Amino acid sequence: MRIASKRLTKELVELRNQGPPEGTAILLADDLKEWRFSISVLGESLYKGQTFGLRFRFPDNYPMESPEVIFMTTDGFKPPVHPHVYSSNGHICLSILGNEWSPVLNVSSILLSIQSMLASCKELKHPPDDERYGRHAPMSPKDSRFVYDDDSV
Amino acid sequence: MKVKLKSFTPVAYWHWDTRDPDDVCGICQNQFDGVCGTCKEPGDGCPLLFGKCTHEFHLHCIMQWLEQHSRKPLCPLCKRPWEEATAEKYQEETAAQQ
Repeated sequence: MRIASKRLTKELVELRNQGPPEGTAILLADDLKEWRFSISVLGESLYKGQTFGLRFRFPDNYPMESPEVIFMTTDGFKPPVHPHVYSSNGHICLSILGNEWSPVLNVSSILLSIQSMLASCKELKHPPDDERYGRHAPMSPKDSRFVYDDDSV
Repeated sequence: MKVKLKSFTPVAYWHWDTRDPDDVCGICQNQFDGVCGTCKEPGDGCPLLFGKCTHEFHLHCIMQWLEQHSRKPLCPLCKRPWEEATAEKYQEETAAQQ
């Protein structure tokens, strides 16, 4: 746990001093277990004018293991309509949160990746298996075995 | 003229031989000359491990990562298969200096 708390403390100091990436803001970071951010996409995109909520939960062996990251469905937030975001639970199918995770990534780089995932979206649609996944999905997206088959967005 | 030296105070300074001495370990994000997330004393007790891909990490940091991915160990930075740069490289360098 020591490496996780040390690194998260460091990340939090940097996020507070230098600010999180442009377009994102800290909503909650009272401890080293769960952080919340608001996120919007800069410039022209299908999500112009919309703001979403992201919830990060950190495992004890972070950064060896990826954090659990979902779009919030509470506190007035709704997940974006996006082919890689499940509408009922806000789970995100994004390879860097799964098998492409690397311990050199951090909260800031995840926020940037999610911004870019939204920015490059060409069509507002739900994932093809949105309804079925919504009914059977595990509580944590980290327990889902996503197949990362679409690199275009 | 003879000078009698009464006392002197030597000062030594060390740093790891990294590409950029001010760089940090990508995993713990602490200075290379500092300690990993679990050690207290920098130096020989918390050494660096160099990969053939030219990326280096604190030994304790990279080992934790490699142990978790022992079937397919990859460099966390470039995702190339992780191979340790052997001492040969350093022997060559020191031999060249002599």
